[in-house]
Amino acid sequence: MTNRIHSIAAKISSQNTEQLKAALAEVAKLSDLSSEEKRELAAALSTSFYRDHAGDEELAQLIDRSESILAAQGAEIAEWMIEQLVEADAESAEHFAGALGQMGAPVVDLLHSWFDTSRNDDYAQINLLLAAGQFTDPAIARVLPEALRCAGSTNKQVKSAAFYCIGRVFARIPPATVGDADRSMLFDTLFAGLSDPSPLVRRHAVRAIGKGVRNNYFTPEQVEKSHNAFRTILGMDHFDWDNAYIVRSEAEYQLHFCQHGLAERQAMPKGKYYQDFSILEKRELCPNTYYFKVNAPLLAKKIQAGQFIIIRPNYDSERMPLSIAGWDREKGYLEIVIMAAGRTSTEATQKNVGDRFQDVVGPLGQRSHVAKYEGACVVLGGGYGTGAVIPTARDLRALGNKVYGVVGARTKDLLILVDELKAVCDEVFVTTNDGSAGIEGFVTHALEQIMAREKVSMALAVGPVPMMMAVAKMTEGKGVETWVSLNAIMVDGTGMCGACRVTVGGKTRFACYHGPDFNAHQVDFNELIKRQRMFVEQEKIAFEAMQR
Amino acid sequence: MAEAGKGLSAKERMQKPRNQMPLHEAGLRILSWEEVPIGYSMEQAQDEAIRCIQCKKPECVPACPVGINIPAFIKLVEQGDVAGAAKKIRETNFLPAACGRVCPQDKQCEAVCVVGKKNDPVGIGNLERFVADYEREHNLNRIPDMPPSTGKRVAVIGSGPAGMTCAYELRSRGHEVTVFEAFHRGGGVMVYGIPRFRLPLEVIDEDLKLLEDMGVEFVYNMIIGKILTIDDLLEKEGFDAVFIGTGAGLPKMLGVPGENLNGIYSANEYLTRIYLMHANEFPQYPTPLYQGKKMAVIGAGNTAMDVLRTGKRLGAEVTCYYRRSHEEAPARTEELEHAEQEFVNFKWLSNPVEFLGDERHFVKAIKCEVMKLSEPDESGRRKPLPTGEYFIDEVDTVVFSLGCDVNPIIPSMTPELRTNKWGVVMVDTTTYHTSKKGVFAGGDVVTGGSTVILAMGQAKEAARHVHEYLMGQFNYELNVPTDPNAPGVQWEGRFAKAKR
Ligand SMILES: Cc1cc2nc3c(=O)[nH]c(=O)nc-3n(C[C@H](O)[C@H](O)[C@H](O)COP(=O)(O)OP(=O)(O)OC[C@H]3O[C@@H](n4cnc5c(N)ncnc54)[C@H](O)[C@@H]3O)c2cc1C
Ligand SMILES: Cc1cc2nc3c(=O)[nH]c(=O)nc-3n(C[C@H](O)[C@H](O)[C@H](O)COP(=O)(O)OP(=O)(O)OC[C@H]3O[C@@H](n4cnc5c(N)ncnc54)[C@H](O)[C@@H]3O)c2cc1C
Ligand code: SF4
Ligand code: FES
Repeated sequence: MTNRIHSIAAKISSQNTEQLKAALAEVAKLSDLSSEEKRELAAALSTSFYRDHAGDEELAQLIDRSESILAAQGAEIAEWMIEQLVEADAESAEHFAGALGQMGAPVVDLLHSWFDTSRNDDYAQINLLLAAGQFTDPAIARVLPEALRCAGSTNKQVKSAAFYCIGRVFARIPPATVGDADRSMLFDTLFAGLSDPSPLVRRHAVRAIGKGVRNNYFTPEQVEKSHNAFRTILGMDHFDWDNAYIVRSEAEYQLHFCQHGLAERQAMPKGKYYQDFSILEKRELCPNTYYFKVNAPLLAKKIQAGQFIIIRPNYDSERMPLSIAGWDREKGYLEIVIMAAGRTSTEATQKNVGDRFQDVVGPLGQRSHVAKYEGACVVLGGGYGTGAVIPTARDLRALGNKVYGVVGARTKDLLILVDELKAVCDEVFVTTNDGSAGIEGFVTHALEQIMAREKVSMALAVGPVPMMMAVAKMTEGKGVETWVSLNAIMVDGTGMCGACRVTVGGKTRFACYHGPDFNAHQVDFNELIKRQRMFVEQEKIAFEAMQR
Repeated sequence: MAEAGKGLSAKERMQKPRNQMPLHEAGLRILSWEEVPIGYSMEQAQDEAIRCIQCKKPECVPACPVGINIPAFIKLVEQGDVAGAAKKIRETNFLPAACGRVCPQDKQCEAVCVVGKKNDPVGIGNLERFVADYEREHNLNRIPDMPPSTGKRVAVIGSGPAGMTCAYELRSRGHEVTVFEAFHRGGGVMVYGIPRFRLPLEVIDEDLKLLEDMGVEFVYNMIIGKILTIDDLLEKEGFDAVFIGTGAGLPKMLGVPGENLNGIYSANEYLTRIYLMHANEFPQYPTPLYQGKKMAVIGAGNTAMDVLRTGKRLGAEVTCYYRRSHEEAPARTEELEHAEQEFVNFKWLSNPVEFLGDERHFVKAIKCEVMKLSEPDESGRRKPLPTGEYFIDEVDTVVFSLGCDVNPIIPSMTPELRTNKWGVVMVDTTTYHTSKKGVFAGGDVVTGGSTVILAMGQAKEAARHVHEYLMGQFNYELNVPTDPNAPGVQWEGRFAKAKR
């Protein structure tokens, strides 16, 4: 084992959380690993999968990080990982499966061949199915025949795992990837599963069918058939309900989606003003953060820098406000950046090219304030906020201002949209908290440097509240007109409900209507932070319910 | 068909006791979202219909904002021809199932019914509801015959009762109608304000569907003023006229310390989270609601009653704080009664002056000043006066239901549209034409907040004039108030007259 790997491996296996954290930070800085080293690193990382993280949030997060790092080592170690996977215990198998899923398309064929070689090993098949369910790449559709084969197993665990896998595929891969005939076969297999003697199998069949319905995998007749089957399971029509509670409770949950799905789809008229909100392009900018191009021709014609939209990814979703990173008025699309934070944003980021968002409404709020300034303008973005400042920077520049851009992130890998920002600014500064790129520290450090160098007349900061607060503090009393875009919790976004109340200059304002941009020096940030936390407990429950 | 009360004299009819609406039992209904009234049976309906003496000059008809031919439909019910009765009502009222449920009949038709002079008035609302439900359950509602298309296009903004009615009226006169709605579904306040236990969704959806079947185009997620302005509609999109039915919907707050604490909502937010976004089915539907155990509701109008009864169904102990007394409470009598039956507490003469929070910024108590009523002033109203005495109650959720101002999105983007200082869109009170040519308005946006039936009545009047406008027969001396202190359309006047 090489020295550098050895020291890291020792830290990881030390059973000490701090050490693990340090080790992961070191791993991030490694480069040019040989295949041998990668394998050794993987072995070391995977020891963390076996640790008991019950109740330890931080450790659980670190383990997830290990999983991502493992995935980042690439297809070279995939074979080794599958070897581990097929033997792994239930807990660590999830992590191996998760890492394989993140590797995506390049490892699909390998996974496929393993299904065949381990045909007679039921336990291996179960774990392979688990892994297949973690892929978000459409290539995974190639293993569906294997899943179908497993669904014919006499072992109820294998059968359930097969249904699990199929349901996951439904939820993650657009239906168009799977041919009509195959979809129909999947439906028939799942439907037959509803009369399996094992309640476990029946439950998984119900769930998979429900996911198929939710994701438009089935024809209206099949949806109707599912609907009726679920009603029967619940004893809504007859007295012969399913005798297993787990099956009934699942059916109740899924029926809810089928019924509402039906109703909403019928109510979807098309006409001159119909916008289909389909996703034209999707890119991962950094882990959990995605760039989307969304078709919305009417909106794209009207939107202005600083305005925002509200989307509902699915027909039962919460309304989620989003800033706009750009648009094309001719081609009729909007560009947005979504960071998966909780349930709704995760639902949104799970959509793929070709899928559509249920609703997109806007433009909301007032456009950003722009003018010709005497001194320079600085736009500062953190997280998804980097996208939000791009259009305003462009407008400022068009008026003849000198515009600086500043992008900040925790570390190099999380920096996003730097090139896009460069295209609309005279100069762009990059800051990272760990110094892995650009200036070490926060965006305010870059701002400080610019202010020391020349006169700054205007600043716009969009990002996490602490960042906007820091910018406000830095420019206070220095003659810099400072704007922040407030991300208060919203419902309608039109001034109808008052959920987005913020205090600005001692007055109550509605962020969605009067804002979202406000004079930074008058904003009561502490109130905003506390109001943003109003639903934390419910948000956790909602997120967990989605993962069911 | 058999006429239930054949041969009875007017006197005999008038002496029959009123058929009380059967209700679900209070203790049970606060455990469910089901509708509280059960509805008349056929027998009850016919028996109730007998009580109408078929006045020659009925008082009730002019007391109805859309002028339903009440005696005629009641007669048909008495004869057992419910389908005919439904047709009769539909001649003038496009949303009978909703109106039968939510209209303040005690302030309209039933208030003036002659039977009510000695006995309880005829149960007009209950009968209307019975007829509409019968029609829906037996699938009798049909698309009306429509004249050939006139080729004229009308944009209707808002899909509440005003917008729906206007769309119906204009479509049945042969115009092409497009309804633009800001939310992702139609119905307006009937969906996102009025609770399901008073107005089930299928009642509204049925009528939305009828409109769709008639060929009305609905476009959701379209905020007029933002995505398209009224000028766009008229100049670029080729609409010949516009009707604004966007409702009120800018919640009033009190402006007292602590009102931005967590756990304090406007009624609009609270009700929207629950009835539009289904927060009561959380987490299947992901929209959250923070619902405490002790809830204070400020105000005593219909909206306040709805919030109180909703809170009760979510398991809270609920108390209504109102700065005047029981007599002045603006809520519909029936709603107040239902709330009282459902164990709602009332603190009359209590004026909130401050909300106190905990270290997490969540509300933990309400501080009120005790009020007393003045002697009646010349208008006969008794004003609440401060006493200098205060009390503090522990609460963990507060909902303001103090009414609404008008949302400024459309007026701010349409400079020619005149509004008063509360943002109410000013119209000519005969034609409902606004200060902008070809633009009409009706419903809460011109009154500042009223009722479903009134919004419908105005929309109907407006539609009549839109039609004239489209057909080139519109020649009126328009009178749109210019005074920013002018009130919205004063609708009380008509009923007050009817009462006398
Ligand atoms: C004007 C504005 C612009 C925004 N722009 C973007 C953007 O471009 N990209 C992006 O990824 N995110 C953006 N957000 C934030 C985004 O709306 C929230 O992250 C999202 O609603 C979280 O929902 P969730 O269910 O995924 O997470 P949850 O677990 O529900 O919430 C996570 C956190 O997000 C915040 N949040 C929750 N619900 C809402 C809500 N309805 N409205 C506002 N904040 C909420 C809360 O502070 C909460 O603690 C913007 C917010 C606003 C108000
Ligand atoms: C809780 C509550 C209880 C009530 N109870 C009763 C009752 O028991 N009986 C009764 O008669 N009345 C009741 N009312 C009042 C009644 O609901 C309203 O008077 C009536 O709905 C007004 O109808 P409207 O069509 O004018 O407006 P609304 O119903 O408010 O509809 C307006 C629609 O326009 C949409 N809109 C707004 N702005 C725009 C825009 N810029 N672009 C596109 N669309 C837009 C809105 O989203 C909404 O859907 C109650 C109201 C509330 C809030
Ligand atoms: S006023 Fe009463 S009695 Fe007279 S017609 Fe109307 S409902 Fe019948
Ligand atoms: S989100 Fe409802 S008023 Fe701003």
